[in-house]
Amino acid sequence: MELFLQTLLNGLLQSGLYALVASGLALAVGVVGIVNFAHGEFLMIGAFLAWGASVYLGVDPLLSLPLVAVAVFAVGALTYRVSIRHVLLAPELNQMLLTFGLGILLQNLALMLLGGNTRTVTTPYQGSSLRLGDLSVGGPKLIAFGLAAVILAGLYAVLYRTTLGRQMRAVAQNRRGSQLIGIDVDRVYLIAFGVSCGLAAVAGVLVATLLFASPTVGLVFALKAFAIIVMAGLGNLTGVLWASVVLGVSEALVQTYVPGGGGWSDAVFFLLIFATLVFRSFRGAR
Amino acid sequence: MKKMLLTGVLLALSGAGAVKVGVLLPLTGAGSVSGQAARNGYLLALDEINRSGGVLGQPLDLDFADDGSSPAKAVPEFVKLVTVDKVDFMAGGVSSATSIAISGPAKQYGTFMAWIGAAAVPVEDAFADHKYFFHYHPWSYYNFEAILDYFKYLKRSKGAKNIAIAYEDGPFGSAGINDTVALFKKAGFNVVMSEKFKTGSGNFGPLVSKAKAAKPDIFYWVGYDTDALPLATEIKQQNLDVGLIYGTPPSWPVGFEKNKLADNIAGLSLWLPSSPQAESRKFVAAYRKKFGNMTEEYFAPLAYVNLKTLAAAINRAGSTDKDKVAAELARTNTPTPFGPLTFSKSNKTQYQGFKAGNWLHFQFLGDSRVPVYPVKFAQKPMVWNK
Repeated sequence: MELFLQTLLNGLLQSGLYALVASGLALAVGVVGIVNFAHGEFLMIGAFLAWGASVYLGVDPLLSLPLVAVAVFAVGALTYRVSIRHVLLAPELNQMLLTFGLGILLQNLALMLLGGNTRTVTTPYQGSSLRLGDLSVGGPKLIAFGLAAVILAGLYAVLYRTTLGRQMRAVAQNRRGSQLIGIDVDRVYLIAFGVSCGLAAVAGVLVATLLFASPTVGLVFALKAFAIIVMAGLGNLTGVLWASVVLGVSEALVQTYVPGGGGWSDAVFFLLIFATLVFRSFRGAR
Repeated sequence: MKKMLLTGVLLALSGAGAVKVGVLLPLTGAGSVSGQAARNGYLLALDEINRSGGVLGQPLDLDFADDGSSPAKAVPEFVKLVTVDKVDFMAGGVSSATSIAISGPAKQYGTFMAWIGAAAVPVEDAFADHKYFFHYHPWSYYNFEAILDYFKYLKRSKGAKNIAIAYEDGPFGSAGINDTVALFKKAGFNVVMSEKFKTGSGNFGPLVSKAKAAKPDIFYWVGYDTDALPLATEIKQQNLDVGLIYGTPPSWPVGFEKNKLADNIAGLSLWLPSSPQAESRKFVAAYRKKFGNMTEEYFAPLAYVNLKTLAAAINRAGSTDKDKVAAELARTNTPTPFGPLTFSKSNKTQYQGFKAGNWLHFQFLGDSRVPVYPVKFAQKPMVWNK
C-alpha cells in the first residue's frame, strides 16, 4: 500500500512540471494558432539562465525565476515579431518548418556558446523532503508543483478575469471577428506567444533546479507537452491540468508496476495520444 | 622547375602527405562529458607528437567529428571521415550504441580503428572478425569483474548481501544485464531489484520507491552523467537507507563532486589525477600547462595514450600500410597513466588493451574523488552508510 501511495504521489508531483510546460504550449496553439516545435528550446534557455544566475551570480534559481520569465518573454516576443507573425497565414507545414528550424537554431546556438556538457546547480534544499508517515515528498518537487499550481491559477485568472484574457479568448475563437470589433490581434498574439515562452522558461528554471541544464534538455519535456495538449484537446488550457495528471500518474504506475517499466515510460505518452485520438474519432463518429 | 617547386611548396603548405587521423567523439549529447575530455586528451597528445617531429616526418593531422551521442548521426560522420576526408586511421569512439552502428561501414571500408570506448559486449561481437580493431577500454565483463571483486569485499567486510540494480535501457546499460544478475547471484548476493530507466529523463521517483521497498544494501546504477544528480536527489529525498550507492557512468557531470548530494557516492575509474604513477604525474602536469585546469575524467588520458601509441606505431612501421601499423601497434609495451599497456586477446577480439586489473573504485569525499579500493591504492577509508 505504501508503495502504491508513494507511486501516486510521485506521479502527481511530476505532473506539476508537465502542466507548466504544456500550458505554455497550449497557449501558443490555442491563441496564436501555431504549433511551436521550439517550445522545448525556450525551456532550455530558461534552464541555462537559471544555471548561469546560480553559478556566476550566486543567485538561487528560484529567486532568479521572475527575471528569467521576463527575459524569455522578451525573447519570445522578439521571435514572434521577427519570424512567427510572417507565417501565421501561411500553410501549416510552413509554420511547422519555421518553428522546427527555430528549435534547431536555438539548440545549436546553445551548443556553440556553452558546449554539450550537462550543467547542474547546487541548492540547499535539493535533497530536502517532507515526511508524511512513511511517504516522502521531495522539497524541490513540491515547490515546483506549488509554483506550477500558482502560475496556472494566475494564468487562468488572467484569461477569464481580465480584458487582455478576454481578448485572447476572443482572438482564439475568431481572429477576423476580433479584428472587426477593434481588438489589436497582432498585439494579442505577441503577448500570448511571449507568455507561452515565458512559461516554458519558468519550467526550465524548475528543470535546472530538479535535474540539469543542457542544450537538449527541452526535448523530453516538449514531447510530453505535445502529448498533453493532444489529450487535453488543442488549445484547451483547463484540460491541460487533468491531462498532465493522467500522464504523470500513468508513467509512475507503469514504472513501478510493469516489469521493465522504466524502459516503457516513454511509450506511455504515445499510448495516451493513440488512445485519445481513437476515443475522439469514435466519439466524433457517433 | 619553378612549377615543380611551387607545387612542392603548395603541397607542403596544404599538409598533403601528412598522416590524417579521424576522431569520432560524442562532443554533444549524453556522452559529451567523456567526449569533451577525450578531445582534450587528443589535443594534448597532438601537441606533443608534432613537437617531437610528427609522424613519418610530417605534422600529424587530426580531423574531429561529433557523433552527437547518437548512432543516427555517427554513421554519416564516420562514412564522411573515411570516404570524403579520406583519413588514414580512425580513433575515438565512446558510446557502445554509436560503435555498433558504425561497425558495418568500418568493416566494409576495412577501416583501421584505434578505439577508446564502447565497453558493451555487442560491440565486441560486432568487431570480432575485424582485423584492424584495437580496443583500449576494458570490455564490460572486465568492468564487472572489478565491480564484483569490490562487492565481494563489501560482503566480507560490511555484510552487504542485497543489491538493487538500475540500468539505462540502451546497449550500455542493458547488454549483459542478465549475465550480471546471474553472476551476482552466483557470488551469493540477492538481487532484490533490477529495473530499467530512460537515460536523461530525470524521472527517478518510482524507481527509487521500488528500491526503497526492496531494502538493498548496495544500490548499483548503470547510466550516463545526466542521470547522476537527479538520481542522487531522489535517493536523498526518499531517504533510501542504503550502505553504498555505486554508479558506473562513463563520466560524471561537471562539478558533481562539489554538490553535497554526491557525498559518499562511489564509482569506477581507470584513473584519477591523484594517481602516484610517474606517467600519470607527467600527464597531469602537461594537461595543467595546456588547459590551465585538471580533469578527473579518465577519457582524457585514455585518448592521450590512444593517439600517442598509434603515432608511435605508425612511425615504427615507417608507412601508413594498415597491416604494418597493426603489427607494430600489437607490439606496444609502454608505461601509461593507467599502468603498462600491451595488447592481448579478449574473449572475441584480437587486440585488447586495458583489462579488469586497471580499474580503481573511488568515493566522492570532500569535493573530490578519492580511491578507496583496491585497499592497497586506498587514500582514505571508504564510508559505508548503514
